[in-house]
Amino acid sequence: MAVSIDEAVSPGPVRDHTAPAPRRGGRGRSVLELALLVVLAAVMLFPALWMLETSIKENRDVYAIPAKFFDFTVTLDHFRDVFVAPGGGRSAVSVSFLNSVVVAGVSTLLATVLGVPAAWAYSRFSVKAKKDQLFFILSTRFMPPVVVVIPIFLMYRQVGLIDSKLGLILIYAAFNVPFTIWMMKGFVDEVPPEYEDAAMLDGYTRLQAFWKFTLPLLVPGIAATAVFALIFSWNEFVFAIFLTSSDDVRTAPPAIAGLIGGTTVDWGLVAAASVVFALPVLIFAYLVRKHLVAGVTLGAVRR
Amino acid sequence: MSDPVSLTTDRPGQVATPTPPAPGRSRWLSDRRLAVAFIAPALLLLLAMSVFPLLWALYLSFTDYSATRGGPAHFVWFENYTAILTSAQVHTRALTTLIYVVGAVTLQTVLGFTIAYLISRRTHGRGLLTTLFLVPMMLSPVVVGLFWRFMLDAQFGVINSMLGSIGLGQVEWLTQQRTALISLIVVDTWQWTPFIMLIALAGLTAVPKYLYEAASIDRASEWFRFRTITLPLVWPLLLIAVLFRAIEAFRLFDLVYILTNGGPGVSTETLSFHVYKVAFLGFNTGTASAYGILMVLVVIVLTQLYLRYLNKLKED
Amino acid sequence: MRHPKRTGRISVAGRKVQLATAAMLLLATTVAACGGDGQDDDAKASAPKAPATIPELTKDPLTLSFIWFEWPPAKALEAFANEEYKKQRPNATIKVNTVPNANWHDAMFTQFAARKTDFDVAILDSQHIGEAVTNGNILDLTDFVKQNIDVKAYNPYLLAAYGQYPQAETGKRDENASLYGLPLLGDTWTMIYRKDLIGDKPPQTWDEMISAAAKCQADNPGVSGLAFHQANGSDAAAVTYNTVNGVYGGNLWDAKTRKIDGVVNDAAGQEAMDVLVNKMKPLTAKGSGNWFIDEVNAAVAQGKACIAFNWIAASGGLLDPKESTLGKTREQILDKLGFATLPAQKTNLVPLGGMGMHVSAYSSAANQAEALNFMKWFEQPDIQKKWAAAGGVPSRTDALESSEFLNAGPFNKVYADSVPRMRDMWNVPEYARLVDIENTNVNAALNGAKKPKEALDDIAKEQQSVLDSSGRKGGGGL
Repeated sequence: MAVSIDEAVSPGPVRDHTAPAPRRGGRGRSVLELALLVVLAAVMLFPALWMLETSIKENRDVYAIPAKFFDFTVTLDHFRDVFVAPGGGRSAVSVSFLNSVVVAGVSTLLATVLGVPAAWAYSRFSVKAKKDQLFFILSTRFMPPVVVVIPIFLMYRQVGLIDSKLGLILIYAAFNVPFTIWMMKGFVDEVPPEYEDAAMLDGYTRLQAFWKFTLPLLVPGIAATAVFALIFSWNEFVFAIFLTSSDDVRTAPPAIAGLIGGTTVDWGLVAAASVVFALPVLIFAYLVRKHLVAGVTLGAVRR
Repeated sequence: MSDPVSLTTDRPGQVATPTPPAPGRSRWLSDRRLAVAFIAPALLLLLAMSVFPLLWALYLSFTDYSATRGGPAHFVWFENYTAILTSAQVHTRALTTLIYVVGAVTLQTVLGFTIAYLISRRTHGRGLLTTLFLVPMMLSPVVVGLFWRFMLDAQFGVINSMLGSIGLGQVEWLTQQRTALISLIVVDTWQWTPFIMLIALAGLTAVPKYLYEAASIDRASEWFRFRTITLPLVWPLLLIAVLFRAIEAFRLFDLVYILTNGGPGVSTETLSFHVYKVAFLGFNTGTASAYGILMVLVVIVLTQLYLRYLNKLKED
Repeated sequence: MRHPKRTGRISVAGRKVQLATAAMLLLATTVAACGGDGQDDDAKASAPKAPATIPELTKDPLTLSFIWFEWPPAKALEAFANEEYKKQRPNATIKVNTVPNANWHDAMFTQFAARKTDFDVAILDSQHIGEAVTNGNILDLTDFVKQNIDVKAYNPYLLAAYGQYPQAETGKRDENASLYGLPLLGDTWTMIYRKDLIGDKPPQTWDEMISAAAKCQADNPGVSGLAFHQANGSDAAAVTYNTVNGVYGGNLWDAKTRKIDGVVNDAAGQEAMDVLVNKMKPLTAKGSGNWFIDEVNAAVAQGKACIAFNWIAASGGLLDPKESTLGKTREQILDKLGFATLPAQKTNLVPLGGMGMHVSAYSSAANQAEALNFMKWFEQPDIQKKWAAAGGVPSRTDALESSEFLNAGPFNKVYADSVPRMRDMWNVPEYARLVDIENTNVNAALNGAKKPKEALDDIAKEQQSVLDSSGRKGGGGL
């Protein structure tokens, strides 16, 4: 079973020449199917579009009844409010965006540095009970965060990692390492080990062979894997809300959630902050669209 | 995986390249060390951040320890477990979680597969369609939760506004027992239908076209082709997607926290949400740990199923 | 698997050694961690005492951190303190960290549990004091207050509500009880009513209020009669029920015998629940079952409620023309909106809100000294008046009666008039669980998920079992 999103996304082989004899009502059915698809796509996309629209509406239009779909005044005030505090200076949400960049970035780096060599080792060498080890590694990723956070909390309080970026970075890295190993093992498997063997015949050590010959070939895979790890850390909420509390540590998801529950709710601001928050993810996801199937199944399903 | 030959001979290199034994042996040794050096750091991180905390939770689950009250922990052995398993409160949450998991996963499987099937039958614009459908899946649960809360607002929410304009009355989406749970299922379905769609699509595009061609020569009906060719080939992959979603849905916390906060009353409190309340409202750490361990057991069973099917798929 | 096995027998032994090492490492860490835990807990079993006199303050730059939830008074406090306190202590900077309201208790107490706080001054809800004191999280200020604070300047009840433990919910100040905090912000509910829709004179009794709301709703399509807190988070629905319970002569518990079952669900309690669910709820907007402070404010500002109840400290935004459809200026809005003390029925009790300042037991000595100095500074008469002018609600009697306070907002007189009428909830270490039980059950009753009587009986039963559970083995917290 050879599957990749590449084939899924590009015009594939299924329909191309499969129906040589047009059946009765074939065209009508095709139109019906297309219509159904368009409706479904509209339903799926509507909330995202509505979010975008709300972010550029003035507040009086946001709360208008019946809802205004087209005739509203466009304003970028909400986007300004995302970054600039009411009294001038940086807003708390924009600080949390920076925190998110640091936490997501460093934890991804850590997971990559730890995960890629491990994936290579699992792919190249025979390790005792390899399959069991790999499955064990993947299963740690499935633990309910709410459960894990209790002992992690106790552990962190012993070592003083509560409410620190390092604490979040470590736990995110731990959740991303299983994914990185599984995803990268697939990529390493695709690189013929003969390259390394040939290099070693030329006098390179195994490590040099990995470093000089295999690793460069893995770069696109590493990039794709890192992007998925980045998206996970960027979006994560449960650990963030229980392990952090101060403004200079808090990441964006709890900060955005904190925009509601005060004395007034500015839905325009919530929408604008959400758009700013979601945009990088969507761009990154588009960049790695070829690897989406593997990415969203934690590297388990690829071919 | 096991290769009896390798036990008797030192086979250093890869398959067909025969190498002299002497350098091979030394390389074999350094390979082993390299493997350990490369794998150990990752495993150590997992031991420290996943295994050790779980063992600690296991120990605490047999005690009456509280994270705030302090004082030493007293062993109560299985008292926490019996209390949880016999608690009507827990049964309510278990039922809610079950309805939610079954409802959400069924709905998104049906929808996701339908969309994938429709897309797979198109010749043009498949890339664009797929990309558009994938947007919800990439959003943070926080963003999804907040935004649906806004859209489902009974007063100024756009959903009720649209219902109103076609002459239907207002629905209290988030504050009635039934509709609140349905809303939760709908929002989860909105976010994760693309997941099923993506994987189903991967399966559908992999069906070799000669099978269809053979079938069309036989003048087999469309439904027959779907049932005998498409479904059996896609099913294993789809099953994996379904199990994956079931595990994720079982762990659900953030969407509940933001969308309904468990309300009205406790009617949308999932098991995860209840664990949170036990752990952080009363700081009954011992009870919460036992509760958590029981959840982990369920997850392990589901994960085992998942891994087994994954294994099967890989071997095919 | 594309790669044949390369390991031999030797590796098995090697791996066993590694595994054993890892296991031992793990065990050692567990023992160390648990052992450390025990010592840590034993050392801090009761609230440590603050010094009677303020120790010498540092001359180095210092940041004094507070923790509060996200709302306008938090911003007001930070701005006010940095403006005024800096005049006395130029090297000190005030930082008010805020968390979402729903996360407020958890954020403070998880840090307390961690024995390490990123704040020096915790702004606790009045009912959190018991939990914090019992766990030894905040300093005992009794000696400090004796030396530095003029307690006679306060309404004794306010001093008790925001600092004293143990304490009865309607109790008088007990001169012999210890103090653990000082008032920061007073608060209670105000009734917000539409003068243009129900007339200038506010309803005087709860019954009148309900019939005025019903009439107003019938006369004005699209405007609902009532808006109040119904959400199941924080203390929203619980405060609503407690308020009605108090007004109809009920009690939350018998503090002496620690009895809830049979008290909260007595005849008065049943009547209160019946009024709330069957008379008040039908007058609220559809889907208002998850409303809290912000949604009630929005309903008032959008002109969608005849009568609303909200915390005074959260009402400032109602007068902001940018947020309101009721008028283009503050004056126009005030032509339509009236603020009054709550109507009375069998009693005239009103809910006590607001918070006190408490010093974290885990912050550094220099910061604790600064915190004490800040509190002493903050409780001076002229500073309290300035705080009132800056939008705060003071607790000193002279500040409450000052023109600075009474003129700062139309609802401030409501607060001053309400002070003698206040009642708080149970101030016990189990507060967080008690309030969650009440919140979820009242919310269930309001939204038809439970019958009113059933909900009230469940509250009584579940809360009682929380109070009684101290001797039980296992399963605490369910």
